[in-house]
Amino acid sequence: MITSTTISRAEPQRIRGLEMPWNRVLSSTAGPAGAARALGPWHPQEFLAECVETVPESGGMMTFIFRRVDGAPLAFRPGQYLNIAFPVNGEDQDSLNRSYSLSSSPTEPWTFNVTVKRDPTGVVSPWVHENVGPGTVLEMLGPVGAFHLPDADRRARYLLLAAGAGITPIMSMVRTIHSLPGQADVIVLYHGTAPGSFAFFKELGYIASVDSRVKVFYSLGNRREPEGWEGLNGRLTASMIDQVAPDANGRKVYACGPASYLNNAAEFLGSLGVDDTSIHMEFFSGDHQTRMEYRAEVALAEDIAEEIADSPEEYYESQPAAFGLYEPGYDSQGTLEAAGLQLESVDANPPLPEPPARESDTESGTGFLDTSTFGTVGTGSLTLSFIRTGINVRIHPDEQILEAARHAGIKIGANCQEGMCGSCKIVKLSGEVEMNHQGGIRSREIDAGKFLPCCSTARTDLVIDA
Amino acid sequence: MVASVKVPNSARGSLTSSVPAEQMTEIARLFEHRRGGYSLEAPFYTDPAVFRLDVQAIFGQHWVFAASVAELPEPGDFVTVDYGPYSVIVLRNDDGGVNVMHNVCRHRGARVLTESSGTTGNLVCGYHSWTYSPEGNLIHASAPGETSFDKSCFGLKRAHGREHAGLIFVCLADEPPTDFDETAEIFEPYLAPHDLAKTKVAYQQNIIEEGNWKLVMENNRECYHCDGHPELACSLFPTWGLTDGLIPAHLEEVWERNKKAQDALIDRCRRYDLPHGVVEELDTRVAGIRIARDSLDGDGESFSSDGHRLSKKLLGDLRDFRLGRCSMHLQPNSWFHFLSDHVVTFAVFPVNEHQTLVRTTWLVADDAVAGVDYDLEKLTHTWKQTNLQDKAFVELCQAGANSPAYEPGPYMKSEYQVEAFINWYVQRVREHLA
Ligand code: FES
Ligand code: FES
Ligand SMILES: [Fe+2]
Repeated sequence: MITSTTISRAEPQRIRGLEMPWNRVLSSTAGPAGAARALGPWHPQEFLAECVETVPESGGMMTFIFRRVDGAPLAFRPGQYLNIAFPVNGEDQDSLNRSYSLSSSPTEPWTFNVTVKRDPTGVVSPWVHENVGPGTVLEMLGPVGAFHLPDADRRARYLLLAAGAGITPIMSMVRTIHSLPGQADVIVLYHGTAPGSFAFFKELGYIASVDSRVKVFYSLGNRREPEGWEGLNGRLTASMIDQVAPDANGRKVYACGPASYLNNAAEFLGSLGVDDTSIHMEFFSGDHQTRMEYRAEVALAEDIAEEIADSPEEYYESQPAAFGLYEPGYDSQGTLEAAGLQLESVDANPPLPEPPARESDTESGTGFLDTSTFGTVGTGSLTLSFIRTGINVRIHPDEQILEAARHAGIKIGANCQEGMCGSCKIVKLSGEVEMNHQGGIRSREIDAGKFLPCCSTARTDLVIDA
Repeated sequence: MVASVKVPNSARGSLTSSVPAEQMTEIARLFEHRRGGYSLEAPFYTDPAVFRLDVQAIFGQHWVFAASVAELPEPGDFVTVDYGPYSVIVLRNDDGGVNVMHNVCRHRGARVLTESSGTTGNLVCGYHSWTYSPEGNLIHASAPGETSFDKSCFGLKRAHGREHAGLIFVCLADEPPTDFDETAEIFEPYLAPHDLAKTKVAYQQNIIEEGNWKLVMENNRECYHCDGHPELACSLFPTWGLTDGLIPAHLEEVWERNKKAQDALIDRCRRYDLPHGVVEELDTRVAGIRIARDSLDGDGESFSSDGHRLSKKLLGDLRDFRLGRCSMHLQPNSWFHFLSDHVVTFAVFPVNEHQTLVRTTWLVADDAVAGVDYDLEKLTHTWKQTNLQDKAFVELCQAGANSPAYEPGPYMKSEYQVEAFINWYVQRVREHLA
């Protein structure tokens, strides 16, 4: 005789589009497990980070690799930035705060990168280039910013536009997508001033060569094209966008660079039919308005970080997905403040929802689920509380619920009494039953708390909406 | 031992058997002598006996459209649809397929399901609670004192159901016509990229038009009357159905714009590997079809006043919003517009010789959020208005057919598809009578 064992396997579920690894944590109703919680990009925090390495990049940029001093991973979304305090004038003077985009991928969360372009006329960036190196510990606040890839996207088709130093958040996006499975489709159009000015040139080339989902185009703007240049030439125009991404109008666009570049981009994208809501921009020029916006966002982040620091345990316990911060509404509306969300701790055991109003309720003000005032009939180890009828019925664990209810005078329509017709279906508000139905109820209904009392026995005390 | 009892499916009375033989001969003569290229004689639109014949020969014999997957996405979801006197349950079963059953209790004939849609486990007749499994088997009938009652003889009558590219069709004939497979092969590649299984119903409209079902279908097959559709004319080129040489002077400019837009659309279709060419076999096959992808005016994306998208979420794996409209017409009772951002399905359910239920359903991507990704009022505006206008046109025609002065008139060149529909209809009934 031959026996065989079959291992049943569920249909393989390919990831359609893009799904960030923390997405499951966010949507988990059970409350995320410890490690996963640490990696969920919840809220800005204040922390100390230590530089462990510096990597010179082309285009006068330098990448600084950090790790948190407390040993925790850094959770963020690709495209977000950090606010960093630099003791430019010495340890005992007030430090200068600047916002820098993260250029690494949050899928490698144990270290993170910040890439800084040296602006010879600036106060901070030259200091950073000269003074920050392995061993430097800096105060940071973050992650901050609504310019980032979505947590999940069924149609992960992106057009990423970068000019100059605007490549840093875009680089984080490219690295993230490259590190994740899924069916993304990414086109990068990167403007620089000279062939040697494109930061991450080699890595972008490598990613594009091994990851068929990613295509990268370079353009030199209006500079004279040197010999051997194989990229595009010319400033950003509608026809250049159309040339590299003829399906631009069906893509989400993320663009980062100087204000003039972005203003042009917005106009060209509009003329190509791209919807406003599909365009996301991060201004990188540091003009006055941008700085003000950053400042407001960072100030808000500070408040949040402080509150978390006050009572971290309580705070994290109260972070179910239901908090709503990471629903689409948040991202589309920008900052927490804009979303009108007050940060307050959520009771982990919220009171049960109000029952449908009953006449007697409105008069006597009987509290919900206060079944102690109900009369009790029957004998048995378990109690069925019928809240509409206002009666408690004692029952034995092997008794059919329908029968016991009927004996107590509770009217529940029933026909087959065998779990087939569904006519006795009622809702239980709490407790567990054992049900032996024969098709009279669907699993969706069971999930919604319904059951068939004709073929059910009680496992625990029950509160029944009848 | 397994006892199986075959329930004869055809044990129903002929719908026309009640028509006196003399009248039947007269009706058959009308079909025999229909004048091609002209609208039908009045009795085709007004005579209850002809209507009974239509139900029997057309709706009782052919594959007819019932609903789309979006209307019954999960196991246990059902819709009930009526074709004349027929009432049919279409139910999503646990295996993902559809069960089609006559909505007639085997006890004393009550309608088993009275809602037009919903979710159910077993099916319980409201009269004496006979209970049927989702497969239609009678599984419970309280039978006090009965000794020889054999439940297996009284299952709900089944009919044929099938699903193609997310559209559900039913056939009430014992032996369905076999060429539907070929028709499905024609339209599946056009519709599949829109992935109906990943859509949801944004809105459904049911209107009763006071007109014969054929007038409803005829009206939809031409754009000769499109001047009467100001909302639709914003995005749909009113030159639809015309060709070079047939363009009236006032539409020449529009025609040029139309041609340019069509060229651009064809480019896009080639780029994304989307079929776009016209397939027109309205009266040359049993399961008559016309399908094509046509450009839209303005932005070329959707049925809005400027042709811009009405929902921000692309359907299926489509990459581009500017895909015009893929429009399909299926004999005898449906037409469809598949756009990049939404789909509109139209189903025609005859009620009697002078009333027809027209059901319009707007589908959007299942992750599109009302008020965020689309505005329901804007989404439905154009076709709600157009339907009302068409309803009025159909009712004018029905009123005309009722007049003793009515006499068939000629179909114009631009109405060749109306002629094709009528030709199909007359052929199908003639074959049935033969
Ligand atoms: S009485 Fe039929 S399912 Fe309970
Ligand atoms: S008619 Fe349906 S149970 Fe009697
Ligand atoms: Fe019309």
